[in-house]
Amino acid sequence: MAKGAGSRETFLPAQYQPPLPLDQLIIQDGAAGAGDRMELDVVIVGAGPAGLAAAIELAQLARRDGTELNIGVLEKAAALGEHSLSGAVVNPRAFRELFPDLQEGDFPFRGPVRKEAVYLLTADRRVRLPVPPTMRNHGNSVASLCEIVRWLGEKAAALGVNIFTGFPAASLLVDGPRVVGVRTAATGLDRAGRPLANYLAPNDLVAKVTALAEGTRGMLAQAWCEWRQVTAENPEIFALGVKEIWETKRALGTIVHTLGWPLPSDAFGGSFMYPLAPNLVALGLVVGLDYRDSALDVHGLFQRMKRHPLFRRYLEGGEMVEWGAKTIPEGGYYSVPTRRSGDGVVMLGDSAGFVDVPSLKGIHYAMQSGMFAARAVFAALKHGDPSAVRLGDYDRMVNASFIMQDLYRTRNMRLAFKDGFYAGALKAGLMTLTGGRFPGGRIAMPRDADVARRLTPGLRPGSGEIPDGRLTFSKVDGVFKAGNATRDTIPTHLIVGRDVPSEAADFYARLCPAGVYERIDSGLRVNAPNCIDCKATDVLGPRWTPREGGSGPKYKRM
Amino acid sequence: MSDVLAVLEQREGALRKVSSEVVTGARRLADGLVGRVEALVLAAGSVQGIDHLGGFGADQVVTLTNGAFGRYAPEAYTRVIADRAQAGGYRAVVFAASATGRDLAPRVAARLGVGLAQDVTDVAVEGGAVTVIRPVYAGKALLKLTLTATPAIVSLRPNVFTPVQRPKAGSAETVAVHAPAGRVVVTAIKAAAAGTLDVAEAPIVISGGRGLKEPANFKVLEELAAAFGGRAAVGASRAVVDAGWRPHADQVGQTGKTVSPTLYIAVGISGAIQHLAGMRTSKVIVAINKDKDAPIFKVADYGVVGDLFEVVPRLTEEIKKLHG
Amino acid sequence: MKIAVCIKRVPDSETRVKIASDGKSLDEAGVKFILNPYDEFAVEEALRRKEQAGAGEVVIVTVGSAAAQETIRTALAMGADRGILLQTDKIPADGLEVARALAAEVKDSGYDLILFGKMAIDDYNHQVGPMVAELLDLPCVTAIAHLEIGGGKGTAEREIEGGVELVEFPLPAVLTADKGLNEPRYPALKGIMAAKKKPLQVKPATLGAGGLEVLALTPPPQRKEGRVVGEGPAAVLELLRLLREEAKVL
Repeated sequence: MAKGAGSRETFLPAQYQPPLPLDQLIIQDGAAGAGDRMELDVVIVGAGPAGLAAAIELAQLARRDGTELNIGVLEKAAALGEHSLSGAVVNPRAFRELFPDLQEGDFPFRGPVRKEAVYLLTADRRVRLPVPPTMRNHGNSVASLCEIVRWLGEKAAALGVNIFTGFPAASLLVDGPRVVGVRTAATGLDRAGRPLANYLAPNDLVAKVTALAEGTRGMLAQAWCEWRQVTAENPEIFALGVKEIWETKRALGTIVHTLGWPLPSDAFGGSFMYPLAPNLVALGLVVGLDYRDSALDVHGLFQRMKRHPLFRRYLEGGEMVEWGAKTIPEGGYYSVPTRRSGDGVVMLGDSAGFVDVPSLKGIHYAMQSGMFAARAVFAALKHGDPSAVRLGDYDRMVNASFIMQDLYRTRNMRLAFKDGFYAGALKAGLMTLTGGRFPGGRIAMPRDADVARRLTPGLRPGSGEIPDGRLTFSKVDGVFKAGNATRDTIPTHLIVGRDVPSEAADFYARLCPAGVYERIDSGLRVNAPNCIDCKATDVLGPRWTPREGGSGPKYKRM
Repeated sequence: MSDVLAVLEQREGALRKVSSEVVTGARRLADGLVGRVEALVLAAGSVQGIDHLGGFGADQVVTLTNGAFGRYAPEAYTRVIADRAQAGGYRAVVFAASATGRDLAPRVAARLGVGLAQDVTDVAVEGGAVTVIRPVYAGKALLKLTLTATPAIVSLRPNVFTPVQRPKAGSAETVAVHAPAGRVVVTAIKAAAAGTLDVAEAPIVISGGRGLKEPANFKVLEELAAAFGGRAAVGASRAVVDAGWRPHADQVGQTGKTVSPTLYIAVGISGAIQHLAGMRTSKVIVAINKDKDAPIFKVADYGVVGDLFEVVPRLTEEIKKLHG
Repeated sequence: MKIAVCIKRVPDSETRVKIASDGKSLDEAGVKFILNPYDEFAVEEALRRKEQAGAGEVVIVTVGSAAAQETIRTALAMGADRGILLQTDKIPADGLEVARALAAEVKDSGYDLILFGKMAIDDYNHQVGPMVAELLDLPCVTAIAHLEIGGGKGTAEREIEGGVELVEFPLPAVLTADKGLNEPRYPALKGIMAAKKKPLQVKPATLGAGGLEVLALTPPPQRKEGRVVGEGPAAVLELLRLLREEAKVL
């Protein structure tokens, strides 16, 4: 049935997407299969800006109060920051609030934004646009999220927080409707799932409160929402960003954003180029995963983009030193789940969708959500009652804060682009003028996987680029520059749908920036160790699940 | 104080090939120091092959014999060589960075209380000082050092110092020596099974990639390896190891083994950077691939564009003739 | 069974090597440091020997900067009992100096075994273990891939060119570990928690300048562009001629 469904001109990703493996992601506390069992007061899943800010705020509250709190942070990367990737231009307000005793110069930033420019590109020209009000970055700083995370991690460790790197949380442990902790992924399995000599069984970490700060497209957050039937007005939608860091011969003095070329007009997205140091530049391309052309390839488009004189003049003669990719939750206000707390659980940062696309910001919302959650959790623990009712204070704090105010102001701006770039730009302009009041109401969005893709032969935005190894690179080169040294013999962590037709195989191959999927004569080949945890196919195709700790990329300055 | 002591190796009474490299390296130092090369070999009796060493630049070859010297005896070897080095007043002592040399050189250096530069790829005398070059950080950088103590002790990376013939004959003598009984005893040597040369150690490595199309086709590479008469090992790219076609032990590349053979032949391998990381220090790289744009051609010294199932058998045939 | 394991903090093997402005050392900015992988085999072996003996102590010793405490904690998280850091800002290029500092530390402490990795993956020095043995006049076997111990004696196997040497030795002894000796365990969560509370002694290292002086650290020469010899089987003869006459590898 699957193969014949629909017309041959279009293809619907949802049709071939396996369901979320709920039985694997949510298990009863006490289920067989675990090794050690540890009890903590709070377990935080994910050492990103949200999780670490939560840990720091909790530890500070406990210290001030003279109570002892046992806080653990689980991180799937082998070391802090190695799975963290962002642009990034950071709004420092959450840092100021979390570290009131520190000065601006103490924060792990690369430097303040001095000049900024926005361009509309064509294949060989550029038109400078006025900087839209939402994108003005005066007072913000350029930073590497890897560096921010390492810095926050040191602060947390100094406060006595236990940070466990190399331990992915694979399942939520539940007892009735209550979340009581997590089970980590096993380590040391062979390709067939049999234990090797150094096998390490999963650990159960039970805690009074579990904070899900897994980042974009968090598996446990998705599972919890589905299990507790927590929804939002719109489904979450995503974009995929591919990023590189270059050592350049020429200094870049301005932060640059571009729109237009090389994206087709029915795709939403744009590029960024930021100076990290006089001879170090971060740049990337972000494309909404609701693009229409099934053959679109974000990595390929990004490689093509670098040939444009605007980028080439900085990159030529330089060296690409790091590569990475990550999805971004772009749905904004209407995609934030109606509640981000439940019995024994809170959901933070990107996992809850706290990202404002028009201003390209998420890090300070993530940190701020972590701090609010810490306050609600601390109060609940003081009352000995980590129930949904008490933890609901977290939602109330977020709702009353600048997080939801900011997201509300730009609530329809990203959504306006669902019908194409030019119509979207016009509507977004009107929204800015009216402070978000135009057009009124909510623009309804389908899930990305429910957007039909064109199968028109011959149209291949971004595919067919032949990398030259100097300015442009293959996906495999990228994976190498991501520092990915995943053990080759671990069991596959990707769940692929059954009877995937060739058009889906082609679609996955182009979608995945890391060359995990390859179309072969007899179907689909999956090079699972290439995966760099961007989660793009979890949005549109094969499901991602947590695998052996320390697998995936080893980002350093992303 | 300008002579150089070259410490050679024998196994079962036959001089090992690396010995001529050690003499060559020692000669290079002795020329710079304007001194003589004394070559030293420890053995149970007479050693085959030492008469050729004069031709590589040894002024004198001394065989020290003792019943316990048939196999490597770490403590006795250390004592005898350190004593000889001290008594002879050498400016430098040169070892091979072989399994034995890497074990022996540090012991001798510690016994003499001087520093050691292990596994060097170049030696020189600059302004009277012994300098060496050593690859460090997995070959990603070269470290240049000077050895300020006397004697300067170095061990030479095998396969790097190409023996140079000299029109000169050295003298030879054999001396029976006393040696203390050691606590560490090599009781046996298990020879590796024929044809199981490790990719990391083989002087020639022939690696196959996805271009081989199916596991059974590695036979084509095994036949080529066999034609080299036991000097070649068959390696594999990550893609084919991942597919389960070849064992992980054979994998060359970032997540496999790093190899630097004299000759590396990449067959049906496109040349992903992960693969290149494991073989780019090979002395000579040959690529055989049907895609002329494959990145492997950018690092290969010699490329042949074509169907590997036609090119490789032809190569095997010609190599057989050469070795026939 | 009382065992010392001498370890080293080294840059991750995936580190992109950038040379510092002095032209003599690695620019450590942004470099991630790890426990030397060969030392992991040594730590694992020590833990197994202790477990097998049913009693004993595994002590981690290193010469390094203050940051090496983190590396010691990694070994403690695997299960070692305590750590000693001989602290220095600069590790000398001469391995004998490091060996002297370590030998002075482990001397007369009643160790049955002193274990090392066969080499560190940064400097490839391959020497400190046997030097310590020589300085302490202890039996030593390097680069072992198999080990059996019993009755105050040990038997080890070490790979040599084209074969394997079987070596017997009495205890106490110094051994250096090669890949294949064992499969190092991953630190368990409980181990990581416990490691935070295990004793770690820090004392200044006494190190001389030694007899090796670094003149320069440089990137390796770039390979020269290769060339395509020809197409199809017809190119084989020309390829062989070049390998014989130009490259001189046949």
